[in-house]
Amino acid sequence: MDSIGIRKTLKKFGSWITNLLATFLALLWSVPVIWAIIASFRPPNDPMSRGDVWFSNSLTFENYTRAWSLAPFGQYYINTIVVVLLILAVQLITIVLAGFAFANYEFFGKGWIFFFVLLQMMIPTSALLAPNFSTIRTLGIFDTRLAIAIPYFGSAFGTFLMRQAFMSVPRDLVDAGVIDGCSWWQLILNVYLPPSIPSLIAFGLSSATWHWNEFLWPLIITISDKSRPLTAGLVRFTQLGEIGAQWSLLTAATLMVAAPLFITFLIFQRRFIQSFVHSGLK
Amino acid sequence: MQASRKSFKPLPYILIFPTAAFVALFTAWPVLLSIYQSFFLQRMNIAKFREPAFVGWGNYVDLFTDPYFIEVIKNTFVYILGTVPISIILGFLFALLVNRKVRGIGFFRLAFFHPMVLPMVSAATIWLFFFTPDYGLFNSTLRFLGYTGPENWTGNPNLALLSVVIVAIWKNSGYYMVFYLAGLQNLPNDVYEAAALDGANGWQTLWRITFPLLRRTTLFITIVAFIDSFRTVDHIFVLTSGGPSRSSTVLLFELWLERFEYQDIGASAAITVIFVIILLAFTVTNFITSDRREA
Amino acid sequence: MKQKKLYQIFAVILILGLLIGACAPAPAAEPVEEEAAPVEEAAPAEEEEAEAEEAEEAVMEPVTFQVFYPVAVDAPIAAILNGYIEDFQAEYPYITVEPVFSGGYGDVQTAIQTTIDGGGEPPALSVMLATALYDLINADYIAPLDGYIGSMEGGDAYVADFLPAFLANSYYDDQLWSIPFQRSAVVMYYNADMFADAGLEIPIDGESWAEAAQALTVQEGDATNWGLQFPSGWPYWLFQPLAIGGGQNILEDDCTVVFDDPSVIGAVNFYIDLSSKYHAMPAGVQSVWATATTDFASGMTAMIVHSSGSLTGILAQADFEVGVMPLPGKEDGTYSSVPGGGNFYILKGAPQEQQDAAWKFVEFISQPEYVADYSINTGYIANRASAYDTEVMLAYTADVPQALATRDALQYAGAELATQNLGQVRGIFHDYLQRAYNGEMSAADAMAAAQIEADAALADFCP
Repeated sequence: MDSIGIRKTLKKFGSWITNLLATFLALLWSVPVIWAIIASFRPPNDPMSRGDVWFSNSLTFENYTRAWSLAPFGQYYINTIVVVLLILAVQLITIVLAGFAFANYEFFGKGWIFFFVLLQMMIPTSALLAPNFSTIRTLGIFDTRLAIAIPYFGSAFGTFLMRQAFMSVPRDLVDAGVIDGCSWWQLILNVYLPPSIPSLIAFGLSSATWHWNEFLWPLIITISDKSRPLTAGLVRFTQLGEIGAQWSLLTAATLMVAAPLFITFLIFQRRFIQSFVHSGLK
Repeated sequence: MQASRKSFKPLPYILIFPTAAFVALFTAWPVLLSIYQSFFLQRMNIAKFREPAFVGWGNYVDLFTDPYFIEVIKNTFVYILGTVPISIILGFLFALLVNRKVRGIGFFRLAFFHPMVLPMVSAATIWLFFFTPDYGLFNSTLRFLGYTGPENWTGNPNLALLSVVIVAIWKNSGYYMVFYLAGLQNLPNDVYEAAALDGANGWQTLWRITFPLLRRTTLFITIVAFIDSFRTVDHIFVLTSGGPSRSSTVLLFELWLERFEYQDIGASAAITVIFVIILLAFTVTNFITSDRREA
Repeated sequence: MKQKKLYQIFAVILILGLLIGACAPAPAAEPVEEEAAPVEEAAPAEEEEAEAEEAEEAVMEPVTFQVFYPVAVDAPIAAILNGYIEDFQAEYPYITVEPVFSGGYGDVQTAIQTTIDGGGEPPALSVMLATALYDLINADYIAPLDGYIGSMEGGDAYVADFLPAFLANSYYDDQLWSIPFQRSAVVMYYNADMFADAGLEIPIDGESWAEAAQALTVQEGDATNWGLQFPSGWPYWLFQPLAIGGGQNILEDDCTVVFDDPSVIGAVNFYIDLSSKYHAMPAGVQSVWATATTDFASGMTAMIVHSSGSLTGILAQADFEVGVMPLPGKEDGTYSSVPGGGNFYILKGAPQEQQDAAWKFVEFISQPEYVADYSINTGYIANRASAYDTEVMLAYTADVPQALATRDALQYAGAELATQNLGQVRGIFHDYLQRAYNGEMSAADAMAAAQIEADAALADFCP
């Protein structure tokens, strides 16, 4: 065989190894959730024991129906979706504007203001509970979905991300836009945003998953089922201190909470990364 | 638009105002309150200490002379050293593995990313089962691979911290993968073409070209990972309750203990301030060093 | 270009999000308005009441209060309590009860603390841990109940009807502060079939218990089926019966803990011996609270120490005869247990009318029929003696005699660990107990150190 042939074979072998590694790692990473899925269909009266942690001798939906009946999941689904979308919508505006300002302009106090905004990334939520509670009360929006969302309308993380993404847009493109007579919002739409889409996607995903799964703050700032999110229902399965773990019930409840996010990610990332790839990026 | 003119442009300030306003109201104000409260002795569960009494640096002195607190700080740094580098490296590895236009690659991406999608308490509860000695899947897999060591992951003081590190790595690596993926997809192709023409093999390309080009992404992910490892303790509640014997208590867990178990407003405020200082210092250093390199 | 499509998607998200967000406050605003109305109506109604004839029952102004419940078992608590509330509101039409489920005991307490610290009005009623008593009193959150008992018909008999072990954590300073609600106890579950097959007697003291556990420990290939599983990830609750059974509980009163005592140290050593000497248990701290019940139900373990609340789940899963008993004490014929769970507390910060209405609800829901019903449906121990004489309870215990065994265990119960500065004291105890279990310190050294630190933690609280 000539050297090109050897190279080709090596390459094939290499990609074969890559595939194997990828598959192995992907499987390893998925075992917990695969187990959870199988466990959720296990009859609740068939306990886990040594050598018997996967399938039982029958499959059943009763864990899901039982979990559904123990908390008003329908209402919780709606509330969670509303809160997450609301937060995302407002955040998209605030972070693009702020990120643009930091990336595109020099102005007095820029560094200080930026670090001020960054504070939000560094504070644990537990430290904020009581003061934010009283702020919400003062604003008169206690026990609403808006109350859950409002502390997050400004996002340090998003601003950080957008600033970084915008800063890596080549300067000459920006200058070209200015010369063409673009106003600031046209600059954003036509020059800064297009190459920053991956960052926007990454931020959207992280914001959505974080707020979908947020526990403590919603539990404190809301009390009626009309405003409470999915996690309020989930605590009825995860905080059972008086008894041992009910694995099949718990996994069913968890999957019910997490499934929409799973599905959204699967569809969403495919479409976006693919369309991004096809659009002829630089 | 370079600010060559000295005249005052209100536009940037207006653009930043919404973000800054929300941060001021819901973050800065509580932090200021914490700073203020940290100079007072106030414990809600002792009647005579319910009203705050000024003690100056007292809370800080008490914390830093308490061997428990020093141990907590030590645990925190071990936890960070355990989670941050490994999850970043894994994130990079995963991104490399899934950065291909193969059909079905989406499922691989889902496989690595999906732990992020689970609520941390649920993920930790599943791992609680996995860490069960004897038949928990983590232990049975290890035994299958030849492991003969201790299996009491959440009850052994030498392993408890490691167990929460493992769960954190499992949960976060896929998240960093997404950032690296975005970064990889954004890399210019011409550099690679030139390298291929020059005969560079895969390993050289990776080391000399890909990784340096992703420096900014890596910097960003490091900051995020560092902050994240400070901020998430839900799994510690579920797996170890900070034990056994406090061996898996980290700073945020200690803060929760002080605030809600011991109801010590002053001490928890002091810990909040320490939190902010550490994270601020870290972020600032990162920034300055990176900006210098850019220049 | 594809970019346009992306922008369209973003625009859709933006518009959708803003529209939904704008509409969001509207539906949730209703409860706030509802709450405002009864308070406004109260003022004119009072005037009317003054003018009204002194009928047997004056026209009562409507009052609404909230009650915070933790959910700690996998029963349909919400449905059950909503049913009780309906019955209650039928009998007291002017009172509206709004239940709020805020997670576990810790979450409920956090929510209440945050509300009060943030300047809000707490709910009038809440279920919180029985052991939280001193913290709640010191923080001035709760109201004493003697006034209500005094003005109640047969108030003394009412209080006397509660199982004494459950009232132990309700008194302070000669006042009554809480009413038992969802209570449990530490018990030992044993596989009666395994005992019969091995020809073993039910344990009657510590030594026979350890020997039985040793005899029932079998090797299954590489793995071991332990004779006993004794969780110790959150160790104080399950440890206390060992101390009580040895003759000395780990506390005397809210200001005195007894760790450094030969009897207590002996109890710690007993636990350690179970693994090191009798090889009946895994060594070290066992974080098996979650899996112990299923291990038992599947037959992998002959005995477990767990909460009485697990009984229902175990019975559903086990295909052998399940025995329930208090823990054997040190001496022959002695036994021990310790209570747990939550009580009703009335919160001071709520308006007086709400507190009064809340008391009516407590009175209603602690009637024997309701106590029995709650116990049967949730697995908690019925907290009143007269509840066991109700028809439903008699029928239930005929089917499930183990439910009587859990009640009977209580006669051997000592007080649950409840002190001033409970969080810190308990943390210290856990720390040193686990060090002893893991062999890092001897039991004697560990308990001595724990005593010193606990005393220091209590110094600020106690005269």
